[in-house]
Amino acid sequence: MSREPDETFTNPAWAETFPPGFTEETLDQAIGRLVVLTRLDDLLAWGRKNSLWPFGFGLSCCFVEMATALTSRYDIARFGSEVIRGSPREADMIIIGGTVFIKMAPIIQRLYEQMMEPRWVISMGSCANSGGMYDIYSVVQGVDKFLPVDVYVPGCPPSPMALMEGINLLQDAVGQESRPLSWVVGPQEVKRPPLPSMRDLKRAERIKAVTLRPPDEV
Amino acid sequence: MDGQPGVLQELQNRFGEDIALQQPTRDQVPTLWVDWQRVHDVLGYLKNEADRSYRMLYDLSAIDERARTNRPGQPESDFTVVYRLISFKRNEDVCIKVALQGDYPTLRSVTDIWPAANWYEREAWDMFGLTFEGHPHLTRILMPPTWEGHPLRKEHPARATEMGPFQLPLEKQIREEEALRFEPEAWGLQRHSEDVDFLFLNLGPQHAGTHGLLRLVLQLDGEKIVDVVPDIGYHHRGAEKMAERQTWHTYIPYTDRVDYLGGVMNNLAYVLAVEKLAGIEVPDRVKVIRVMLAELFRIASHLVWYGTFAQDVGMMSPVFLTFSDRERVFDIVEAICGARMHPSWFRIGGVAQDLPKGWDRIISEFVAKLPRRLDEYDRVIMRNPIFKARTKGIGAYTTEEAIEWGVTGPGLRATGLEWDFRKKRPYSGYDQFDFEIPTGRHGDCYDRAVVRVEEIRQSLHIIQQCVDHMPDGPYKARHPLTTPPLKEHTIHDIETLIAHFLGVSWGPVIPAGEAFVGIEATKGNNGYYLISDEDIHAYRARIRTPSFAHIQMVPLISRGLMVPDLIAILGSVDFVLSDVDR
Repeated sequence: MSREPDETFTNPAWAETFPPGFTEETLDQAIGRLVVLTRLDDLLAWGRKNSLWPFGFGLSCCFVEMATALTSRYDIARFGSEVIRGSPREADMIIIGGTVFIKMAPIIQRLYEQMMEPRWVISMGSCANSGGMYDIYSVVQGVDKFLPVDVYVPGCPPSPMALMEGINLLQDAVGQESRPLSWVVGPQEVKRPPLPSMRDLKRAERIKAVTLRPPDEV
Repeated sequence: MDGQPGVLQELQNRFGEDIALQQPTRDQVPTLWVDWQRVHDVLGYLKNEADRSYRMLYDLSAIDERARTNRPGQPESDFTVVYRLISFKRNEDVCIKVALQGDYPTLRSVTDIWPAANWYEREAWDMFGLTFEGHPHLTRILMPPTWEGHPLRKEHPARATEMGPFQLPLEKQIREEEALRFEPEAWGLQRHSEDVDFLFLNLGPQHAGTHGLLRLVLQLDGEKIVDVVPDIGYHHRGAEKMAERQTWHTYIPYTDRVDYLGGVMNNLAYVLAVEKLAGIEVPDRVKVIRVMLAELFRIASHLVWYGTFAQDVGMMSPVFLTFSDRERVFDIVEAICGARMHPSWFRIGGVAQDLPKGWDRIISEFVAKLPRRLDEYDRVIMRNPIFKARTKGIGAYTTEEAIEWGVTGPGLRATGLEWDFRKKRPYSGYDQFDFEIPTGRHGDCYDRAVVRVEEIRQSLHIIQQCVDHMPDGPYKARHPLTTPPLKEHTIHDIETLIAHFLGVSWGPVIPAGEAFVGIEATKGNNGYYLISDEDIHAYRARIRTPSFAHIQMVPLISRGLMVPDLIAILGSVDFVLSDVDR
């Protein structure tokens, strides 16, 4: 297909290459489209944020809902977290999904220690959060008795959507974290953003609800 | 049975008049007290010599009787050991009880009669401190090896918060990990044969193939499994101790979490046992609603099994397919009960509320759609040649072996025995439904799968009948112990209001007595043996779960196979770890 040389092209030969209707962009536009200017640590944080790979780990009922979050209706892959790792060394986060048993606690601790920094912990469900309804001799009253927890997801068990909200919250936090680029570059400490309680943040919105769906209709 | 002498008569003919003392119970199961010195002979007779003998050791547990007040007509006892046997030929149970004196009594082991008694006796040792003489390896089974005390004894604290804050310093972590180290000699395993050194491979408790917190130690000759030693207890949530402090009513949510894929199916076994103790007869509508939801959960549980089992043997996509159907079940469950996995929706004497408007439409839509999807799965999974190659002839056992080891549910039916509590001992109105009992022939992994897949279809058939013939009427029984009672009565008469108030604030007081109810749950026969001491909570609640027996059997069917076969076996057995450890 041939056509008249277009005035919008500075080099007439380009008209052969580009389709009709294409207008030449200015240098600024091209840079704006093709180049992202950022700081290296922001870029890394962005990468970490969008590829939080979970450790394939589960304790009890919550694990089934965690597995459900991987399947078609919920599709956790939308958030880059579907890459379940069989080895803790390859995982970025561990989702403590279920009851933390006293017999299991040393093993959980060992698995956590085997994860490489940076690593994050989501406590999923009431048992992992606080022991929940199991104030019983064989259950640790919350995984935070021996592990540092980043995000707590409430529920018994939390729905897959609640877990995904937890992952989104963790993503936001990870994206804002500042970490040393190497052991010789820049400040060495890890700066984490504050993680406020969602209950407090959402209270104003929730309290506005005046009509609730009646339980006697499907 | 009509025309047959009772089991008590048989024992008296064989051992003399004074052999046993019959105890009346609410469940009408012959419950016989036998002297501890003669119980071994009696059990041996019942299993091996009696006409149409009691082949299956269905359950073995204990009761700490030291704090119990209502024991009319029962012999003096500090600890009672309870054996529950099933005769399939008679379709009858017998419950044998043994009174033991002292703080840490001893009894002769029955592992020489039933090898399946092994784990049950270990559990009784772990939980109560009872010693069984002649047991091959009486060690802790549920609690960590470093644990002090026996949790189901009355003097043992129930709450974690009574036991001081949990801490895990490094030295404790090392000590606990060291205590879990596997010593082959302790289990009677050789480290070498004549010409090979065996490899001991630790599989779990954190492993994708074990479906939860199960640890298996494999003794391997190359890739071949010489022996397997399961190590359980990583998922022990103290469900039985919990029943001794939660009221009869507030214990219902804990039952949901015993077989956590079974949802309200667990509620059913529990509330049926409580209703038997309380003497509540529920209206027909309640029965049908309960059956309908229980069957929906059977489908949900089987769908989880279907997808994950296919994944265990290497198929990537089925889990996505079956889980989306499970979501459709949960849409219905959520519309009716308001929750997904653990609705806790059944109540003593009824269900939580009436069915919502439009329930029949969403269920009918689901029942109409699922068969086509199941046909598709038949094509994709069941007729897949690789799937067949991985599962046919693997992990097979005979009906005799299944009965010997206490296997129930689809695992038993896959061996060809048509045995289903819903048909043989109908509860909750199952005798009014038309459905088939699918059976297999070979008892291998593939046949277990065939049975479960067909069970999904039969469950759909039952649910359709529920939709078509849902009776009218109240959704709760008119009985003073129905908890909570029907609201419209509470606002009209003071008696019901008081009963409502007490039932909710304090808890219903269930009359003293004992009752056992077993149902055909998702994984096999799930039973609740409840003892009331005329209080607001159970004096003792024994939960007989199918998975416990099934996991104990895994070594028997895994020897001589390869490691991937073991994964196929575990998938086909379909257990849930909270159902094993409770």
